[in-house]
Amino acid sequence: MGIIETKDLVFEYIRRDEEGNVEGITRAVDNVNLDIKQGDFVAILGHNGSGKSTLAKHINAILYPTEGTVWVDGKDTSREENLWDVRQEAGMVFQNPDNQIIGQVVEEDVGFGPENLGIPTKEIWERVEESLKAVGMYEFRKHSPNKLSGGQKQRVSIAGVIAMHPKCIVLDEPTAMLDPNGRKEVIRAARALNDVEEITIILITHYMEEIIHANKVFVMDKGKIAMEGTPREIFSQVEKLKALRLDVPQVTLLAHELKKSGLAIPEGILTCEELVAALGRLNRRK
Amino acid sequence: MLRDITLGQYYQTDSVIHRLDPRVKLATTICYIISLFIVDNLIGYVIAGLFLALVIKLSKVPPKFMIRGMKSILFLLIIAVGFNLFLTPGETLVAFWKLRITKEGGRLAAFMAIRLVFLIMGSSVMTLTTTPNNLTDGMEKLLGPLKRIRVPVHEISMMMSIALRFIPILLEETDKIMKAQIARGADFENGNLIKKAKSLVPLLVPLFISAFRRANDLAMAMEARCYRGGEHRTKMKPLVYHKRDGIAYGVVVCYLALCIIFGKILL
Repeated sequence: MGIIETKDLVFEYIRRDEEGNVEGITRAVDNVNLDIKQGDFVAILGHNGSGKSTLAKHINAILYPTEGTVWVDGKDTSREENLWDVRQEAGMVFQNPDNQIIGQVVEEDVGFGPENLGIPTKEIWERVEESLKAVGMYEFRKHSPNKLSGGQKQRVSIAGVIAMHPKCIVLDEPTAMLDPNGRKEVIRAARALNDVEEITIILITHYMEEIIHANKVFVMDKGKIAMEGTPREIFSQVEKLKALRLDVPQVTLLAHELKKSGLAIPEGILTCEELVAALGRLNRRK
Repeated sequence: MLRDITLGQYYQTDSVIHRLDPRVKLATTICYIISLFIVDNLIGYVIAGLFLALVIKLSKVPPKFMIRGMKSILFLLIIAVGFNLFLTPGETLVAFWKLRITKEGGRLAAFMAIRLVFLIMGSSVMTLTTTPNNLTDGMEKLLGPLKRIRVPVHEISMMMSIALRFIPILLEETDKIMKAQIARGADFENGNLIKKAKSLVPLLVPLFISAFRRANDLAMAMEARCYRGGEHRTKMKPLVYHKRDGIAYGVVVCYLALCIIFGKILL
């Protein structure tokens, strides 16, 4: 069993009118089966309303399944006694950097999680130092979070999660409100954690560029898992991605169009370098 | 930039008073205010004045910052002094038109003025030398015993520190919404008072909506980080009494004793 596993997971939002009568039911997550291994870098893609954020909230026990089960490190998230263990083991970083920083000083915010876990003071300081160093924000530890850029704030949020020593971090569209530089910073920090600390990363996003480093990608549509595979496998199905209203990275799209018009280059090109190499090979063959 | 505003009126410097535990400062301020109302003769006020002067000197905060705080209560001061001066019955000193100043009135007015000035200066010494953060921490600890009678002390202090954290964010947001509404032709500057108040509606409604949304997000983020109220919680920066705090308590007790002996019993 992997670090995160879901079985026939279903979640329904129930809309009620003012008297509390059921107005309608929206099935946000529909029969999802996942099995994520320790140390994986998993990306979950999907356009707005595809249920990806709802799925993410199940991993952290913020939402409970309507049907089916979610296990985090073998613990059933819907059981009350597992709640705090699950939340400690699966940290979560949200979209809006301003709305998830609690402390008025960077280091205090990072210390918030360990404080809640009841960690002794001395160890809190060690954890804060090590987490801030892991995301490269140590020199900002005395700053007010209000004076940081969006990317820096998100890195502080990530540090706040790392300080709780989780086995897995769920990043729920952490880059949606950032500029391109901030996005790069955050993704780099997440990758470093995955490489160095071997923390399982689950990145939820709708930016295709961010998933090329993942070792597994799930594409969600209407609450279901529509596609599953490595980034290369996913990106070789350009038409299907387009049908799911997802933007394919420009290089991949270019390679796809070139192939369609008769050039012999492989499907699933992810980076500029790969395309250049493929075109070079093509040139030599002539 | 709105982001750079300083909250409260903390004056950044390094002094004995700054380093004191916030609990000591809170308790001292409360004792000081009580002492101002215990004493009712000149010697008592001289003692209170000397104590205050000593603390201000030790705090290294320029006295002009204290005086700045006075401006806000000037109006209150004038009213309080005026009422006491003219409306106290007793032996008439001066009388003109329908107003008369009595000997007792003069005495009362003078004491009232001194009391108010000392009170405001005393409490500004505290706010000038303690960060808002420290202050809420101190309050949480100091009011701790109230937990037994179900006062949500931890929750109150958590609310205060979250409010402090979000004030600059919401100010910035207000600025943004204001600009957006001005761009759509809203007028926040012209018109009479009622018109101006009405023009605030398109500013306040979006601000409230956004504040609620933020609150919702923040609550979720806090839960995700295992926040479960004040129980089982440890502190990253716990308040620990040092030797200087003990000395400070001693000084305060001596001061209170002096006030009671000279300001109340002896004379």
